[in-house]
Amino acid sequence: MLTAAALCPAPPLLARELTGADPVVPELRQACLDAATDLLQSDPDMIAVVGPGEQTRAFGALGRLDLAAYAPALALGRLDGSALDGSGLDRDAQPLPLPLGLGCRLLDQAGYAGQLALHTVNDRAGAADCAALGARLAATVARVALLVMADGSARRGLKAPGYLDERSFPFDTQVTEAIRAGDMAALLTLDASLARDLMATGRPAWQVLAGAMGEQRPVSVIRYCDDPFGVAYLVATLSPQHDANPTSGRERGGDWPDRP
Amino acid sequence: MSDGLAPAAQQGMLRLGNRAFPPGQPIVMGIVNRTPDSFFRPAVTWDETAAMERVHQVIADGADIVDVGGIPAAPGADVDVAEEIRRTAAFIGAIRSSYPDVVISADTWRHETGRAVCEAGADLLNDSWGGYDPLLADVAAEFGAGLVCAHVGRQSPRTRPFRVAYADVMADVLDQVQQLAGRALAAGVPSDRIVIDAAHDFGKNTWHSLEITRRLAEMTATGFPVLVSLSNKDFVGETLNLPPEQRLPGTLAATAICAWHGARIFRVHQVAESRQVINMVSAIRGDRPPARAVRGLA
Repeated sequence: MLTAAALCPAPPLLARELTGADPVVPELRQACLDAATDLLQSDPDMIAVVGPGEQTRAFGALGRLDLAAYAPALALGRLDGSALDGSGLDRDAQPLPLPLGLGCRLLDQAGYAGQLALHTVNDRAGAADCAALGARLAATVARVALLVMADGSARRGLKAPGYLDERSFPFDTQVTEAIRAGDMAALLTLDASLARDLMATGRPAWQVLAGAMGEQRPVSVIRYCDDPFGVAYLVATLSPQHDANPTSGRERGGDWPDRP
Repeated sequence: MSDGLAPAAQQGMLRLGNRAFPPGQPIVMGIVNRTPDSFFRPAVTWDETAAMERVHQVIADGADIVDVGGIPAAPGADVDVAEEIRRTAAFIGAIRSSYPDVVISADTWRHETGRAVCEAGADLLNDSWGGYDPLLADVAAEFGAGLVCAHVGRQSPRTRPFRVAYADVMADVLDQVQQLAGRALAAGVPSDRIVIDAAHDFGKNTWHSLEITRRLAEMTATGFPVLVSLSNKDFVGETLNLPPEQRLPGTLAATAICAWHGARIFRVHQVAESRQVINMVSAIRGDRPPARAVRGLA
């Protein structure tokens, strides 16, 4: 049974060390930490972390966040606060794919020390396969919480990593509205090919979320919804409604900024 | 080390006044001349009001240390002890009143002046003339001030090099500055307040100054913090065939090399430009993070 799900983006800059002296996006990091904290409060026996990766596969929980791949100077150990061990993960362990490493750090920062399941999902996985993975993860133990590391379009402006693609706006709105409304079926209809075009790497992970939620229609809290660098970052908490009459599918939350 | 960097572990904390500077935190020393006849922008801070404006500016531009000198390095009209003290001590007292925490350095070789400026609040005695007056180290020890131990070869104060030659200039530098540092330690100056300086142009021709720049890592490998004073000097001018007012790019190039080799104090005229170069090199070395990194990380 799923106790709660949290949705966070997984850009490298979520790691405080990587943006240099300027925190750049403290509000994004705080929103992610709040979402991770929500998961702990749902009292899970295990937290599953899912993010996009080269392959669809599980990772051992003893991996580490590998920031030196993004900032080699951090490995020199001469920078103040270059706490590569800030994740609480084993320094000698194998590096995790970034979304999993960031997710583990968030859970560590939220104070979680319990059981973990780490899984990447590949972009070639179709909606049905993703949903099946989600259902399987949700059934691992009695109470499972899910942390989904997933990003929207990276083509939301002329200065975006992927330049501007106007299709980004309806696409990201479709995702956000589905999350906001707790409409998991809508996530399963996302166009994988369009998502690839838009560099929206989160598509398979969102569909894992949909599978994990199953028939439940969760109540959502949107904690962050912005694209400061042309990439859609969405932070949300989703709480399954286990009673017969869920209160609402639209609780509260932000909306996308005006188009450039 | 294969990358040409000195082993950082050998450098320790440097204490000046009530400030503590760890290795990897470069220090900029802004020059404020209380002279009518310095080689660079002569007399611009001869007037005391202008000099205090200059102090405000160098601190605003990012200087950690203000270096006050009352005598130019070049030969010229005699400046006796009384006149040197008149030019510097009260002014240092005024800086101390305005800036309780800034590190104040006095550029002098004389122990009498050293005593007067320490009483006025100086934290560092910047002896550019290689321990010519051995009593200066005793004054530094008495007041708990830092001491710069510089190499000048066999020059005496305010003389120009004349046909100087060294079998190995860097070996001579290392030998002399370490002897001076040993003398300072024996006089009671704490090891974390001793700085060494190759003293570009002092007792050196341009070839020598280029050589010590190229080999500065040998100085930082001693473990003593290294000060470099490169700013607009003749070795830059001769290398590029440019007059003093056009030597900033050359100065900054030499600054970058010295920063790469691990120099920790940079005595400069142009504080803001120097600070940019030093911070850039510091980030390349991996001692300092970028101010704001987003490219490719979103």
